[in-house]
Amino acid sequence: MEFVIFFITAAIALIGAIAMLVSRNAVHSALFLLLNFSAIAILFLLLRAPFLFAVQLIVYAGAIMVLFLFVVMLLGAERAEDEKDKVAWQRPLAIGLGAALLVEAIFVGFNQLAMEPPTTPEVESFGAPARIGESLFTTYLLPFQITGIILLVAIIGVVVLNQRNRAKA
Amino acid sequence: MVPTSYYVLLSAALFTIGAMGMLVRRNAIVLFMSVELMLNAANLALVAFARQQVNPDGQVLVFFVITVAAAEVAVGLALLVAIFRSKRTTDVDEVSTLRG
Amino acid sequence: MFNFIWLIPLLPLVGFALNVFVIRREREAGYVATGAVALSFLVALATFIQFAFSPPAEAKPPRVDLVLWNWISVGEFNVPFGLLFDPLSGVMVLLVTGVGALIHLYSIGYMHGDSRVVRYFAYLNLFVAMMLFLVMSDNMLLLFLGWEGVGLCSFLLIGHWFERRTATSAAAKAFVVNRIGDAAFLVAMMAIFAHFGTLSFYDIELADGAVIEGFLERADEISGLIFSIPGQNFLVSTGIAFLLLIGVTGKSAQLPLFVWLPDAMAGPTPVSALIHAATMVTAGVYLMARTHPIFELSAATQGWVTWIGALTALIAATAAVAQWDIKRVLAYSTVSQLGFMVAAAGMGAYVAAIFHLLTHGVFKALLFLGSGSVIHGTHDTQDMRKMGGLREHMPTTFITYLVGAGALAGIFPLAGFWSKDEIIAHAWSGQNFSIFLLLFVSSLLTAFYMGRQIALTFFGQQRDHSYHAHESGQVMTMPLMILAVGAVLAGAMNLPMLHWLSTWLEPTLHEHAAEFGVTQLILAVVTTLLAAGSGYLGWRYYVANSAKIKPGAKDPLYRYSGDIWEALEEAWYIDRAYEKLTVVPGFRALARFMAGVFDPQGIDGLVRGVGYAFSQAASALRVFQSGFVRTYALLFLAGVVMVVGYLLII
Repeated sequence: MEFVIFFITAAIALIGAIAMLVSRNAVHSALFLLLNFSAIAILFLLLRAPFLFAVQLIVYAGAIMVLFLFVVMLLGAERAEDEKDKVAWQRPLAIGLGAALLVEAIFVGFNQLAMEPPTTPEVESFGAPARIGESLFTTYLLPFQITGIILLVAIIGVVVLNQRNRAKA
Repeated sequence: MVPTSYYVLLSAALFTIGAMGMLVRRNAIVLFMSVELMLNAANLALVAFARQQVNPDGQVLVFFVITVAAAEVAVGLALLVAIFRSKRTTDVDEVSTLRG
Repeated sequence: MFNFIWLIPLLPLVGFALNVFVIRREREAGYVATGAVALSFLVALATFIQFAFSPPAEAKPPRVDLVLWNWISVGEFNVPFGLLFDPLSGVMVLLVTGVGALIHLYSIGYMHGDSRVVRYFAYLNLFVAMMLFLVMSDNMLLLFLGWEGVGLCSFLLIGHWFERRTATSAAAKAFVVNRIGDAAFLVAMMAIFAHFGTLSFYDIELADGAVIEGFLERADEISGLIFSIPGQNFLVSTGIAFLLLIGVTGKSAQLPLFVWLPDAMAGPTPVSALIHAATMVTAGVYLMARTHPIFELSAATQGWVTWIGALTALIAATAAVAQWDIKRVLAYSTVSQLGFMVAAAGMGAYVAAIFHLLTHGVFKALLFLGSGSVIHGTHDTQDMRKMGGLREHMPTTFITYLVGAGALAGIFPLAGFWSKDEIIAHAWSGQNFSIFLLLFVSSLLTAFYMGRQIALTFFGQQRDHSYHAHESGQVMTMPLMILAVGAVLAGAMNLPMLHWLSTWLEPTLHEHAAEFGVTQLILAVVTTLLAAGSGYLGWRYYVANSAKIKPGAKDPLYRYSGDIWEALEEAWYIDRAYEKLTVVPGFRALARFMAGVFDPQGIDGLVRGVGYAFSQAASALRVFQSGFVRTYALLFLAGVVMVVGYLLII
């Protein structure tokens, strides 16, 4: 059963990603990416990460994708690539390099193909939101605070970047 | 149980697709999406390894990655808007005034 | 008072700082500068008196050694900033500050109306401060600081009128020639450190109880030590002493490095007085007296010292005979008298050397200030052919100058007689007949050229009427009178029967007073009679021939001597020899090579080449800077693929 769910979601994730890559309209790209994110969220659930499942859906599928769509529509940038590609020569090169990267990755993957996850009882309770929260507020308290600061900096940065008439002020 | 290596292979494939997106697309917004895709691929691998090691630290790390990615997208899109305001385009090839 | 000896060099330094940073008006500058040196003199005098009546008993030899702070401390190398006040330093300090103060006072009048008086007084103060550091240092390094400091100040002051080309080139010459000696001094210092592990003269107890052992008291440690260069063995002491000697020839204007001193009179006359009398040139003689244990270990170097001194005395004395410039005569005479001192030091008569240094400091300051007064009163005339008959216009200057000239010539009972006679007596009793002869002839020549100068300047009729001669103001004549009294009395320091100075310096210089017998008496009488006769001859001849002397004319003696006279005028062509031997073939060619080849092709070529290489490389590399972000990403990915591939393969 788990295998069936995995293969279906994996296929959806791959299809979403490839569709994002090839669709000419940026809005379509964003929607396909949304599909991909949702599939990954389900994979998180399979991997016993219910907390990350929620975060993935809320932050990525919810906030970030909305932001993307919003900007695409605001700028009217759905069809930014209608003109001729100035560096078209690098497309075959890119495909070749991508293939090489994939080959390397698969090579690494096949070397560890026998990597079976442990099935001890401990794994059953693994990844509960309570444990993640505990470790966030104890062991990883400082990084947690720092991410807060990073978000604050990002907010300030965005405000400053899009301030109008800065020179006159 | 699905073996960890399956997840890793899927992650590698998604990462490669993201990287290809970086190289062949010109729309800056789509480039950003590709970056997000690559981040997600990395996240997937992290979570898979976390399960493999029975160590929740991997999940915590993914949590941080998602948070920082959110900040990154916000700043990146703000930059994009600022560039669009002066250049009237989101084509990254048009933004090449730093050419040597 | 012993705890306040740091005030002695500090006061002129404060004067310097005030003149540099605060004072802008000429009058204040003169007063502050003079006051600072005068105060310093008073402190020195008080210290001296206390030292004389209650010397510090604990130290052997008796001295005050005040370590102000730990100056340099690197590993084994430990140099405290220590000031020394012992009999030798004491008399030097008194000379420097006393004569220095009078020269400062005189400068107020002499430099009146000059455009850069404040700067002048600032440098003058710094000069005195540096000289005080030199004579009060308790180690070689601080001495070297003063040594270099006076070199710098002489450069600045000789070049005071830098609008004049002669002044700037004379300043540069003084600096460069001094540098040769300084380099040798530096090497000597390193050698001393290498062999003794310290640069301090005497044992010093630091605040934390540690003791730095001075090298002078254990100079014997290197006696007999030998170092070799291929084919030749030398005593280490000879090496060190010889290097010090080179330093001395530079600073104290001895053969072959004396050429800077006659040119140095391009500066203001009080500066010449300061350089020639109280500071700078005396440093070399002081150094030899201070480090005499090292010199005494090397008989070879002692011989060199003696011969260099005696030859310098003779050459400079002969050159002085043929000069027309009133200050140049005195300049060569200084070189000559320094030759006497150096020769005395070479013969081991350090007391006589210091004695002559002190008396000479007084009467040479008097003579230079007198000549300054003459120059001032004749509106910047320096050529003696344009003078004459000045005794009526400048009576005070004339009388004081006469005293100074008499002292220099060694006429009984003036100061120079006692000190110079002591040196000559030493040469006589040392059985060194050739040295004695050189010094004796020099001494007679001294009397001759002073007689000539007096005759040309003050007697006869005024030969050039383009100026109206007048006596200088009181601020200038007063130092002259004080110095004239000094020139009469200074000999009393070391009268043959009393030996005050010998006794005073005995703990430091380890030299007992020479006995004074019938031979010495006869010698003294003969010397002074001959000197007086020679002086009278010089005076008589030039007074009698005063009608033949015209501006631009040749000397009356030229008829008899011909070309030799021209050689004398140029001090035996030593300057020209330098030019022919080093300046023209060496430095000019080097300079031409540097300017014509090395600079445009070497340096510029290097600079341009670097720039060219980078711009070429940049043009090649800019292909990659296409401005397309995606291309950068592509390259990045290529890098990733390669790195991962590499990691997979290994």
